[in-house]
Amino acid sequence: MTTTESQHKHKILVVDDEPDLEPLMLQRMRRYIRTGVYEFVFARNGIEALEALDMDESIDMVLSDINMPKMDGLTLLERIPDVAPDIRAVIISAYGDMKNIRIAMNRGAFDFVTKPVDFDDLKFTIDRTLTHIREWKEALSARDKLVVLQNELNVASMMQQSILPNKFARNDNYKLFGTMQPARNVGGDFFDVIGLSDGRVGLAIADVSGKGVPAALFMMSSRTLLKGAAMRANGPGEALSEVNDVLNEDNDACMFVTMIYAVYDPDTGELTYADGGHDPPLVVHADGSTTQLPVTEGLALGVLPGFDYLQHSHKLAPGDTVVLYTDGVTEAINTEEEQLGLERLREAFEQNPPQDAEDAGHRVIDLVNDFAGDVPQFDDTTCLVLRREH
Amino acid sequence: MAISAERADGTVIAKADGRIDSSNSREFHSELEAVVTDSDAALVLDFEDLAYISSAGMRVILLTAKSLQKSGMKFVLCSMNDSIREVFKISGFDKIIDIHNSQVEALAAVGA
Repeated sequence: MTTTESQHKHKILVVDDEPDLEPLMLQRMRRYIRTGVYEFVFARNGIEALEALDMDESIDMVLSDINMPKMDGLTLLERIPDVAPDIRAVIISAYGDMKNIRIAMNRGAFDFVTKPVDFDDLKFTIDRTLTHIREWKEALSARDKLVVLQNELNVASMMQQSILPNKFARNDNYKLFGTMQPARNVGGDFFDVIGLSDGRVGLAIADVSGKGVPAALFMMSSRTLLKGAAMRANGPGEALSEVNDVLNEDNDACMFVTMIYAVYDPDTGELTYADGGHDPPLVVHADGSTTQLPVTEGLALGVLPGFDYLQHSHKLAPGDTVVLYTDGVTEAINTEEEQLGLERLREAFEQNPPQDAEDAGHRVIDLVNDFAGDVPQFDDTTCLVLRREH
Repeated sequence: MAISAERADGTVIAKADGRIDSSNSREFHSELEAVVTDSDAALVLDFEDLAYISSAGMRVILLTAKSLQKSGMKFVLCSMNDSIREVFKISGFDKIIDIHNSQVEALAAVGA
């Protein structure tokens, strides 16, 4: 299956009225075009795009600009399901254009990239979208009712896995590592790493209320909103306030997400963070001693519109390791029905300080698995680790 | 998880026991909705015998708080164990929902 899929050429419809994009795309993606991974077709506006989708059933995904004559990208998004329900669209937006990104996500866009287009990031986004489409089609093709039920969980699980970063940028000054071990009934944990200007990096960890497809959908929008807000906002507090306000719109289901969002500046070692009602991060010092970062009197996001999220700053020393985690770690249950608890987590590091970020991340997951034994866990186990090297 | 309820002068005192998680949060919600009527003035939810509540259960608390607020009914929680109290503190839910140490204090707070 995998082999045939990878040999299959993926056809991508690029919609943009600017003539410059076509030669640029063909040039930057030439390696993948030559090896038959991608095939690009182009349209100049939404109407041409709909015609192309109607005529050519082999198109897998759409990559569309927003501002175009005749029919813009946002209208196109609304119309795509009429002609091609299984198509997913990725939007190209102006940097920090939260308003349009929000509208696009509400209209079913799968993801977005910002201008000027970073082609490495675009390649990654395209691949992730294509994987999603393939798995979505596989999930939909099942007919049997029981299988469909199981598939619903698979869809939720696939949505969750598809948004997690799996590569971490290498950097001399700091190291990152994140991992998530899903619960059997699929929770709503996620983490994200967001590249910011001036070499700073945004780090997020979050836990959505509930389980299954509703949690996965809420997780998708939380993650996308944060990505947009993070790039635009003046600090983590403002970013969480913005995400919170949007999540509160039409939230009759009272879904919520707890979150820590932190910005690390490798030049100063300063970690600035805001707390959305989430467990406080743990800092493991080079000698193994641990401290909890003071939380900022936060509130889970999606609960109260207009809530003002504050932020704190903490300067990391070289060798300090920050462990962001979800309550699936500290609330893991063993055969005696005891909770793992914060103390056991601290002890695991105090007895044996982590060698690097990846070691610290694996240490957390191993601790949970050793403690839980054969007891099935009801919550995802997730951690994101930052270590200041110099 | 089971809910037992008694009523005195328009105040409903409901006690939940065991664990509330995603496997029984729906049941918890419907049972909680069933114990209050439109003519009640307040709901006191006593967590003395509750061992654990997950985020799915917290969502039901939030739904209940919002719907009771709309109908002008008072809603307070009381007698939580330390780990549940901690969950309410970390999530910030204690900022939007009244929590009391004992049922006596909770009843005094709703004016019963």
